[in-house]
Amino acid sequence: MNGARESRLIDEALAVAGLASGMMIAIGEPTPMALVRHLVRRGLRDLTVIGSGLALDVLIAAGCVRKTISYYAGGGVGVPVAPSFRRAAERGEIDVWECEEGILTSGLEAAGKGLPFLPWRGGVGTSLPEVNPDLKVMTDPINGETLIAVPAIRPDVALLHAAQADVYGNVQHHGGPGWIDLFLQRAATRCIVQVERIVSNEAIRANPWATTIGRADAIVRAPWGAHPWYSRGGYVQDSPFLADYVTAATAAADRGERAALERWLNHWCREPVTHADYLERVSLKRLLALHEY
Amino acid sequence: MSIDQPLAADCSIAELLACFLARDLNDGEELQVGVALPIPEAAVRLAHLMHGPNMELIFLGARMNVHHLDQIPMPAFGWDNRVVRWTESFSDRGHRFDQVKDWHRRVFFVGGLQVDPYGNTNLIGVGADHKRLKFRGPGSVGTPTLTTHVGRYYIVLNSHTPRLCVPRCDFVSTVGWGQGGADARRKLGLPGGGPKYVVTPLCIMDFTDEEKRMRLKSLHPGVTIEQVIAQTGFELVIPPGIPVTSAPGTDELLVLRTRVDVTGALRRL
Repeated sequence: MNGARESRLIDEALAVAGLASGMMIAIGEPTPMALVRHLVRRGLRDLTVIGSGLALDVLIAAGCVRKTISYYAGGGVGVPVAPSFRRAAERGEIDVWECEEGILTSGLEAAGKGLPFLPWRGGVGTSLPEVNPDLKVMTDPINGETLIAVPAIRPDVALLHAAQADVYGNVQHHGGPGWIDLFLQRAATRCIVQVERIVSNEAIRANPWATTIGRADAIVRAPWGAHPWYSRGGYVQDSPFLADYVTAATAAADRGERAALERWLNHWCREPVTHADYLERVSLKRLLALHEY
Repeated sequence: MSIDQPLAADCSIAELLACFLARDLNDGEELQVGVALPIPEAAVRLAHLMHGPNMELIFLGARMNVHHLDQIPMPAFGWDNRVVRWTESFSDRGHRFDQVKDWHRRVFFVGGLQVDPYGNTNLIGVGADHKRLKFRGPGSVGTPTLTTHVGRYYIVLNSHTPRLCVPRCDFVSTVGWGQGGADARRKLGLPGGGPKYVVTPLCIMDFTDEEKRMRLKSLHPGVTIEQVIAQTGFELVIPPGIPVTSAPGTDELLVLRTRVDVTGALRRL
């Protein structure tokens, strides 16, 4: 007998090389931007994206998206609706699979559990089943209550960002997995996790209860990899950076002026070959200023 | 005249609404606030400091009790450590909707692109055709599930116009009192208590007992009934003797401005 346990550590370009136009891709929170940028760089098209907020908006702005499965496409205070999402949805350029958090997680749980659907109550009486015909209003066979049957949502791949992992795919989020990452991981066919740092297998075994994902298919080393978003235990959101994006995307969406948006996408997503190239453009000073405290 | 008159008189409408909401929150309650709602963000912090040592604040999913803090500043946003450093747990143990059976203790707040006379609201969009909306909204976030289950919730509107207060929402993302009637929610099988108040820059509204139709409750200082009628796109129930929304006290404004909204966000809305 010989051979060694196989490392799952690969670089970001290789990680994304297996993805193709037309796939259903789920984006976790915090946002795995090192991987998301490569979706833009590769120019993937016609993706169905499970995502939210401005990360989803960047993919729409870059023309990667055909359909969104999103509970929230706003940008927080001051940005009620993400600009590229709004424009593309109003023009019919993307399909919006209308849902909400409980419906989305029910569909993901159905996939993880190998079920055709799971019932959910939130949304009963609303327009959601009318505007999303995949949601079926049903009568529960036990008590006769009215519920919504949410079909299984099966992403081809989940892209996630976490604090640390070993090279064998044991992932530990900082302070727990947030709210949606594990739903996405359980539902997806493949799971690629970018992490702030790689740790030893011994460090994982020192606290196995902290392991949130046990068998990620690929691990990508990406320090500062959620920039311009936050990474718990690391750094805060780079709000001026996001404001630049919103300004450029709003000019494109509202006035058809795409020059600034294309510059933004080229400079920050398409041109940097590696994650390190991107970080050099952001600059060390800027990154260090995002320390949490 | 007491010394508090000038301070209270120059408070902004957003501050007035934050103080109104804060007074309506009770010690021991779980107060959940979502994204982009600065008035409830301030209100739950103010209530927690003023009279709620046993309140639990839930921001997105991070549950905390921070009554002991000198300041509970307004967040820049969501879930980075500036907010979650005080977290005792992530609600429902990180799986946000695994314990909705206990949400009768919880209080929530929703905004909307539209609201109708029965407190149904819309975050989906405005227009006749869902595939070609005139205005695409941000989506429902978690509001359908939350408003289905929480003990009560408040509808918080940033403006009060006929375009926003409509006879019928183009799309409904949260069910208030459906087609009306005190049994409307029970007939739909929605266990939560429904919307209690609608607060806007002009007034406070509640719902009639029987029909559950929106009713004027109080007018903010300087606002007339005629103004509210003109800015509401449906017929509002208007009982006699509408009072003026009670102004914040000096103590409330002091805590609000020095321990919660320290950057004055509510004076810039």
